[in-house]
Amino acid sequence: MNPLPEWLSAGHDETRFRAMLSPDSPYTLEQLAGESKAITLRRFGRTMSLYAPLYLSNHCSSGCAYCGFASDRKTPRRRLEQEEIRKELGAMKRLGISDVLLLTGERTKAADFDYLRTSVATAAADMQRVTVEAFPMSVSEYRDLAEAGCTGITIYQETYDPLRYAELHRWGPKKDFRERLETPSRALEGGIKTVGLGVLLGLADPQEDALMLYRHLRYLGKTYWRAGLSVSFPRIRPQTGSYEPPFPVSDHLLARMIFAFRIALPDVELVLSTRESPAFRDGMAGIGVTRMSIASRTTVGGYHDAESSDRGQFDVFDDRTAEAFCSALRKKNIEPVFKNWEHAYNGPSHPEAEK
Amino acid sequence: MDSLHIGSYTFSSRLILGTGKFSSPGVMLEAVKASGTQLVTVALRRFNREQPGDDLFTPLTSIPGITLMPNTSGASTAAEAVQAARIARELSGSPFIKVEIHPNPQHLMPDPIETYEASKILAKEGFLVMPYIPADPVLAKRLEEAGCVSVMPLGSAIGSGQGLATAEMLKIIIRESTIPVIVDAGLRSPSEAALAMEMGCDAVLVNSAVAVAGNPPVMAEAFAEAVAAGRKAFAAGIMEKSGIAVATSPLTSFLGTEA
Repeated sequence: MNPLPEWLSAGHDETRFRAMLSPDSPYTLEQLAGESKAITLRRFGRTMSLYAPLYLSNHCSSGCAYCGFASDRKTPRRRLEQEEIRKELGAMKRLGISDVLLLTGERTKAADFDYLRTSVATAAADMQRVTVEAFPMSVSEYRDLAEAGCTGITIYQETYDPLRYAELHRWGPKKDFRERLETPSRALEGGIKTVGLGVLLGLADPQEDALMLYRHLRYLGKTYWRAGLSVSFPRIRPQTGSYEPPFPVSDHLLARMIFAFRIALPDVELVLSTRESPAFRDGMAGIGVTRMSIASRTTVGGYHDAESSDRGQFDVFDDRTAEAFCSALRKKNIEPVFKNWEHAYNGPSHPEAEK
Repeated sequence: MDSLHIGSYTFSSRLILGTGKFSSPGVMLEAVKASGTQLVTVALRRFNREQPGDDLFTPLTSIPGITLMPNTSGASTAAEAVQAARIARELSGSPFIKVEIHPNPQHLMPDPIETYEASKILAKEGFLVMPYIPADPVLAKRLEEAGCVSVMPLGSAIGSGQGLATAEMLKIIIRESTIPVIVDAGLRSPSEAALAMEMGCDAVLVNSAVAVAGNPPVMAEAFAEAVAAGRKAFAAGIMEKSGIAVATSPLTSFLGTEA
């Protein structure tokens, strides 16, 4: 049986997308950059929307070969209690942050759905916008999460190659490729407004993964017409457990991918985290990427108690302060936008999802 | 004096500016000043009372002669837009609300059903409601009946710079409306704004075209001049276009004067 669903196997209108990414592409990088810049400017203006991640818990039940928080790692495990979350949010607010991404590992007893929902409600009371990167949930759980104030989820397929996926996800709930693949659909059915997709660059053939990701986005956009879509470009960096990526992705290829997605999907939000270098992030601002994380900590907590010596999920490459990063953006004539959302918009995406 | 009347308000400028997408609040303020606009819209989501450097609303209040119109951009349902409008009135003190409801954050097309529902409720609550809508003549009349003080049909998709792609529908809306018709979204260049005004629009709203121009304040001024010229032409009465030549010596003079 083909492990891929029909909508991932069937080709959409993807001739140009393939051509932009092909190793013998007729388009030079500079040509793509020019077109990508013009689209970005027209559609998003001279602005960059900012967010910051908050790791709620590093408990995990899965054995992802590449992850510093996999369940066989010796990393100390902990979760933030609600009072600690409030303190972290307070520290983040002092940095100007009003848009937070809450993260956990795969579902565990220590960090289960009820814990996550409570944490979302805690964050929604303090922040304008709350998004979640956690574990796959059911439609009704997503509905509850939306009602608690979560407007978006991030869920990476990591790789769309089923064989590589099976090798890398050694045990735990994340082993189920199809379950994960269908997660964005369930979130949108439940009334979550935006879904963020991505592949973890370095795990498998990047061109193939990018094409599958593109198909997935096209499918979601057509099937769930209200869906807000975003794409992130996480690239494997040194981390706890020291996983060596078998398919390393160069700066040039990553840039080419970002331009190709911008050109093929002009309205989709493209996200770049602090995994990337200051030079790469500054360079990408204004020519494709429209959303970036700032002042990130990838340890559990870490904003309130900045002295923590724990290893994070991955090492932050761009460790500039919020202030330093914003001043770099302003030098490029781009306005850093901290608040681009309103608490009033935190309900489920469609009326049927409210029941 | 050829003024624009919206609700009980009178404006001499027929250019309305949006305030998003600029490279900094400073540049935005310069563009607003240079345009001579008297009505400016700001997204509630860009009000930031906690961080003055990130706030677009407060700096605008320092410009004399400007009326601020908050908008609900970011809302995806009528319920969210209504709640946002109430918060915006509380924060801004402005009776105006630009109802903007995009169920899909990608293409930013306005939802006619949710927009109608929200506008009806807000008009009853005493807001001066200006809905951003698809260029649909029936929807425009329904919103007029619901108590809106203006309708704001799109020229083309927001941020697309495709100009007056909806021109034929706009003409019907203009012909039938008893409230001001303001073309919102899609205009790329001053000549398109002038064309909208020549067609009989009461005003135009421009944002991207100014914000992403090489020199936003100068572009704002260019739009102001184009809007004024287009309006003047409309008021003066533009000569009819005709497919056939009209002879200067009448062809039917041999018939004598009609009795």
